[in-house]
Amino acid sequence: MRTRTLLCCGMLLASLHTRAQGSGADSSHAGYAPVISGSLGYVYNVQGGVPSLEPQINPVLLLPLGSHVLFETRTDFTGFFERRHGTSGDYTGEVFKTVDFAQLDWLANSHVIPIAGLYILPFGLYPERLEPLWIANLQDLPIDYSIGTRTTGSGIGPQLRGVAVETNHFNIQYTAYYSVHSNVTELQAARTAGGDTSIYFPGLRAEFGTSYQRFLDNHQINSAAGYLTWQPSHTPLDLKAEYDRSHNGQGYWIEGNSMLSSIPVANSFFRRMQIVGRDELFFPLNGGGNGVPTVETKRGEAGINYYIGDDWRLISSYGREFKSGNNFNIWNLGFTYRFLWPLAREKK
Amino acid sequence: MKNLMPIPLVTIYAALVALSLGIAATMPPLIAQQSDPKSAPLTPAQRGERVFADNCARCHRPPMTIPPQATGTVIMHMRVRARLSRQQEQDLLHYLAP
Ligand code: HEC
Repeated sequence: MRTRTLLCCGMLLASLHTRAQGSGADSSHAGYAPVISGSLGYVYNVQGGVPSLEPQINPVLLLPLGSHVLFETRTDFTGFFERRHGTSGDYTGEVFKTVDFAQLDWLANSHVIPIAGLYILPFGLYPERLEPLWIANLQDLPIDYSIGTRTTGSGIGPQLRGVAVETNHFNIQYTAYYSVHSNVTELQAARTAGGDTSIYFPGLRAEFGTSYQRFLDNHQINSAAGYLTWQPSHTPLDLKAEYDRSHNGQGYWIEGNSMLSSIPVANSFFRRMQIVGRDELFFPLNGGGNGVPTVETKRGEAGINYYIGDDWRLISSYGREFKSGNNFNIWNLGFTYRFLWPLAREKK
Repeated sequence: MKNLMPIPLVTIYAALVALSLGIAATMPPLIAQQSDPKSAPLTPAQRGERVFADNCARCHRPPMTIPPQATGTVIMHMRVRARLSRQQEQDLLHYLAP
């Protein structure tokens, strides 16, 4: 029902859609057609010897209204199928549907982009940037992912974002939001307020950022994160790290990946191969809970991904999680596919 | 339980700003300065190429191609996601859809 309402809003916006070719981009020939993008994939996961099958598809709909207003929405369909008796029997499970965001963006100017609707809570690196199936280099979410993203990962209400300072050497960006509490099916959110700010040095290709959130439902809880990303020039290396802390615990993860593009032998094969590793540590505070472990937890993961062209990717990873009295292996094997379909023909 | 969050956050942010200003002060200019009469200013498409190289691999592998009829839409979307400026959006469009 909700999805139908969202689709109707989308169609209405599409009917209002005005072709803004040329107008928004001075003299460039950029097209502003509506777009369906996103990814689909299939992951075979084994955790502590228990296998599960996870087919996923998360289409994104982009509906521009001229060159300054954009409606964007993403719905995630993830199947989770496990063997009836853990390690034996037939696979049973269900498909979960979640609307991740459905928001209207007004690109007013460089300093302020007002946003209204259901949006991803901007906290740290993962939720807004790295979570989509085709982007994540390792399919398991970090252990401390639920810090700053409770209760559903989305917020409902107003958001402002933009560039605070722009110079030749660095840019400072910000996001600020307030979310109301919502119990509406598929559009659930907790009452929260918070923000994120980061500074990016294009010359160094390095970004340092911090996020803060005050959870305002029931118990009021503060959460904070500090993160950095670095893609040193002239190397195929990509490093990301984050530290998160809340009333329930604190932890960090550090992730690095590299395309094997500089291997001199069989280069056409190896330059499509990516190696990735992530190290994580989490300490509970006040007993943990609220989505984070209740005991100290360590996890190390390493993976190899192989890009077939721009869109298809084979993924594989092995990890080991250590927590008191319960250490286990995590395997992931599968593929992802990224699509981008304009809903208009190319102009000749 | 004592709440430790706001103070470290302010401290971390102040440290980041101080660090960034320090780094910025020691870095050579990125874009050819107009004040140097010998170096011609970059064209919008050249600036767009630089914005692409500097920004489009920050979160994901940049796409090899974007269908021309969707370039404006995608760059609008990425301007919101990556919190790019209006000027960066314009320059990118001149580079990707000249
Ligand atoms: C701050 C992180 C970030 C940066 C920087 C970034 N992207 Fe993205 N990009 C994303 C995310 C996240 C998605 C997936 C959107 C989704 O699923 O909601 C995406 C999706 C895309 C898509 C698929 C179509 C769409 O709009 O969803 C294209 C094409 C794309 N980005 C191109 C670019 C280009 C070109 C740049 C450089 C200007 C860029 N991106 C910079 C995060 C980023």
